[in-house]
Amino acid sequence: MTLQVQPVARRITAVAWLPPHAGAAYNDARLSFVTGSGGKHRELALWTTGNPDFADNTTDEDQTAAAATLAARVAHDGDVRGIAAVSSQTIVTASSFGTVSVYQTDDGAAAAERARLELRESMTAHRFGDSAPAAATDVAVQPGAAASDAEVASCGEDGAIAYARVARLDALQRFEVDSTAVTGVCWPTSTQTAACTRAGQVKVFDRRAPADVAAVLIASQTAAAAPSSSSALAFECIAAHPSQSFRLATGTNAGSVLLWDTRNMRAPVIEAFNVHRASVWDVCFDPVGSSSSFVSCSDDASLAVTQWSADPASSSPAAADEDGSASSSPARPVRHISSFFNVLSVNCLDVCAFTRASVIVAGSDSGNLLIDKVPASDHHFRLF
Amino acid sequence: MSRKKVDRFVVLREKEAALHLSPGLFPAGTAEEWTAENRTLIFSTHPLNNGCALAVAGKKTREHLAEDNRVFEQDEKVYVCRMETVPDERLPFIYDSHAVFVSLQKMMRTIEESEDTDAAGHANGTTTSGERTAADITSLLQTSALYREAMLRQVRVLQEAPRETEFILSEMDVFQAMHAVWHLVEIIYLATNMPGGLSAPIVPHFMGWLNFNFPAPLAEDGQRIFADGPSADDLAANPDVWPYLKKLALRGHVTTMANMLDRIAPAKSSVSASVARWAREVARIARAMPLGSDEETAGSFNARWRLWNGELQSTATAIRSLLASPSPSPSPSTKEEAEAEATAATSAGAGSDDPALESLYSIVEAMRGDAAAISAQSETWQDMMGATLLYSEPTAQADRLPTLAAEVADEFQTHEFAILDRTLVALLRHELPEFLVYSNQIDPWLSAHMSDMMEHINILGVCRRVFAVEPREHYVIELGEVYMSHEDLWRVGLEYLGMSGGCAGAGAAVMEEYAMRIPLESDRKAAQVLRTCAAHGLQRAADRIHRQLGRQKWQQGRLGAAITHFAQARDHRSVGLVCDQLWAAYLESGGSGDLAYGPTIDGVLAATGVRHDRLDFLSRYRDFHACYGAGDPVAAGRILLAIITAGIAPPHAVRDLLVDAIPLLEGDALVFSADDTFELLRRAEEEKRDGTNGNSSSSEMSVFSVACARNLARAFVAA
Repeated sequence: MTLQVQPVARRITAVAWLPPHAGAAYNDARLSFVTGSGGKHRELALWTTGNPDFADNTTDEDQTAAAATLAARVAHDGDVRGIAAVSSQTIVTASSFGTVSVYQTDDGAAAAERARLELRESMTAHRFGDSAPAAATDVAVQPGAAASDAEVASCGEDGAIAYARVARLDALQRFEVDSTAVTGVCWPTSTQTAACTRAGQVKVFDRRAPADVAAVLIASQTAAAAPSSSSALAFECIAAHPSQSFRLATGTNAGSVLLWDTRNMRAPVIEAFNVHRASVWDVCFDPVGSSSSFVSCSDDASLAVTQWSADPASSSPAAADEDGSASSSPARPVRHISSFFNVLSVNCLDVCAFTRASVIVAGSDSGNLLIDKVPASDHHFRLF
Repeated sequence: MSRKKVDRFVVLREKEAALHLSPGLFPAGTAEEWTAENRTLIFSTHPLNNGCALAVAGKKTREHLAEDNRVFEQDEKVYVCRMETVPDERLPFIYDSHAVFVSLQKMMRTIEESEDTDAAGHANGTTTSGERTAADITSLLQTSALYREAMLRQVRVLQEAPRETEFILSEMDVFQAMHAVWHLVEIIYLATNMPGGLSAPIVPHFMGWLNFNFPAPLAEDGQRIFADGPSADDLAANPDVWPYLKKLALRGHVTTMANMLDRIAPAKSSVSASVARWAREVARIARAMPLGSDEETAGSFNARWRLWNGELQSTATAIRSLLASPSPSPSPSTKEEAEAEATAATSAGAGSDDPALESLYSIVEAMRGDAAAISAQSETWQDMMGATLLYSEPTAQADRLPTLAAEVADEFQTHEFAILDRTLVALLRHELPEFLVYSNQIDPWLSAHMSDMMEHINILGVCRRVFAVEPREHYVIELGEVYMSHEDLWRVGLEYLGMSGGCAGAGAAVMEEYAMRIPLESDRKAAQVLRTCAAHGLQRAADRIHRQLGRQKWQQGRLGAAITHFAQARDHRSVGLVCDQLWAAYLESGGSGDLAYGPTIDGVLAATGVRHDRLDFLSRYRDFHACYGAGDPVAAGRILLAIITAGIAPPHAVRDLLVDAIPLLEGDALVFSADDTFELLRRAEEEKRDGTNGNSSSSEMSVFSVACARNLARAFVAA
């Protein structure tokens, strides 16, 4: 088993890896990530864990010890609903009180006792019409921009998307784009955002004209069967492919993950994967290798790694062997990850983009931190 | 079961906590003054947890006190008080044990289902439904071990706690007690209760249980004795050594005892020659103590045991004669005498005054299985129970425990027993209803999971005959309610309530009430509550939650979301009202053709496929505008006519629709046929007859009539 379960007695609602320090990329023996919790204990916590790329150098004691060590923690205003890492020193959070906050971090790489998390700035981004604060649902940082100049997009239950520069949070712009709730936001490119709604739509925006919806994508009835006749199909999360800007993935409340191709507006959903039995709370393309798989987590207390690429070259030989007897079946190899001691909803996940190995960290309502480390196998590097 | 025992179903007073708000809301000594000022306390209890809000307020409202409208500062404060019943330190354990509980329920369901199919397959099968097979017991044993593991893990976590507060210590006591109880149930009803096989003797299990949960003598005692002086002479002179040896013997640590005796024997000064000699002998015999094994038959073991016991017997006789020869003294038969003799230890001597020899004698007597000697040396009932089982009934089985426990308990002051002792004795005596009640007093967790486990082992029936309520359901609901008071545990609590079973369905009813009251701070939490409701078939609660969410969203101006929720609650009236609001907003905007509600209903229609007349109306009306705007008056006219004739438009909107028809009637293209025009006129007549809003420009309606007339003429010509 590769999954480590660490009880932390907090309902973890958001998680994000921190990028490595400048110059330390791919060489850092320690990885850092930030978790946010909700419910009774609303706080941000900074953790470090061993980099499995360097597992050979570590002793056996490290293997049996706790999966991650707590470096710093700080109280957070409201449930943490989303975390986006801007740089190794700056993170942005979205809270259930509708605020977007910037935190300064130092994982103590320079001096272990220096690890810290500090609030720098906070701003209410989401409000209902009656000016009551609306819960934010997600936050995403603009890719490809310098840390000082990057912009963050947050979305909330007020049906709005708010944009703000990390350096100037007070100059926040809010655009109401949906009559239900916007549940997820991502940046396919540095000038484009995509949001998914509780009404089962994906809306694409051009950052330069943020008030106008550039495109509305709806899943055709055949592609995504509603969970039942009485309830509605809703999207709970969205992810953009790290390199193919036209490719999106959304998780539905029916337990499926839809893969989209925004180039084809007539039938944008290219495939629906029924990988879970309940709402998919978070989805993420595997940033490692050729990104031919995505990771999802769900209310059914499990994580799943799904190989979606139709390209036979990138599917691993092991998966082919498993399906060898039924090679004609279109079923994709899905690796389900769950733990006996984690029976409640897995709320959030993040896949580390800075290691050769696949390192997934997830948090659950059962108060557990789930860390799945799969050492860099040959299949990621098949191309080389 | 006698009536008397049912009466013990009461809460121990010491478990109740007296709570004071400090400082009080009325400062000390001011109560009378405040009362005179017409002020009193008001409070309201929390619907989910054991908290309440209280405040100082006027006895009468201010409106009734026109002349005296003083405002007190305190009146503006509301105090929210709550008792924390689930400490955060327990969360990991709660999550872990919840996971085990869930998997246990799943496992038992599959077992029962397979039993049902088996029973259906061959009706006269040998296994009757409800009896557990060896495989079932093995899986229950594994589950039970998981529970215990979780308890031990929690004890370790508490031990590692940075500060040793009173709370941490009491939590540790609770968990150690729960472990002791759980472990004992496991050995009595699972480990030694394998169906099909021969019942295993309970003794090794019992001694394992005893020494794990009530370790004695403590390792530190031995270390301290050695620290005082490791040489033989030092050891022999140490006053603690003989009590320590006796304890070792009582608990069956015979090898350790033998080693110790061998170390003392060479002592020159403080030990007489006879003691040295007999110490060596006892050590030899102790090492030869027969141990049973699965391979050995009971007869063969008994034979070996008798032989060994005989050896002890002769040793005891020999020592007694030594003790008796210089000045005959009776062997210690009571506890008091033994203690008196032990404390009377003076300097080393020989013969009857030799306390070392007397101690050795009492050790041999105890090992021989002499009830009086065991009783005299036992400090606790556990000691006595263990020694009696080990030395006088080494082949006893679980069914011997009740009588033995009763005999042992009689020797002790049972009214001084702590709750843990009472629980264990009740369990050993097989008084299960009493046992459950005591378990509940240790912790609600224990009674809930224990009654669940007992249900699965099929031993809960006896409690059902005593309890006025279904015991498992009662305790599981109780635990679920405790959990509901913690903000993070609502889901765990709901699942316990949902899995409380019981044919009366009390759990489902309680669960429904709680589910409707859980604060829904976010859409995600709402979705989770709704999913839990769906999983347990709580349709009524789900409807109410949807309706509540719909109202909330409507208030917040999220009309799309409001429609979705109302539609899912099948609240058609509210859906209609929200749609009317959208329509009114459109009219207010001046009917500019810029249909602001478009995206709203698009989202709703795409998501839900909600079928509602009003929604249909709005969507078709939007289509009408789209066609008209696109320069296709014929299609637009067809849609408009369909809206009017289908009767999906709200009555107050019909006039607006008819007015919308005017440009089509007057347009270049012939849009409406003669029949269509008649239909429009008929609707217009109805509208006029109803006369709902007569003041609204009747000129518009006359324009409409003229337009209809012209169109009719054109239609006849065209035809």
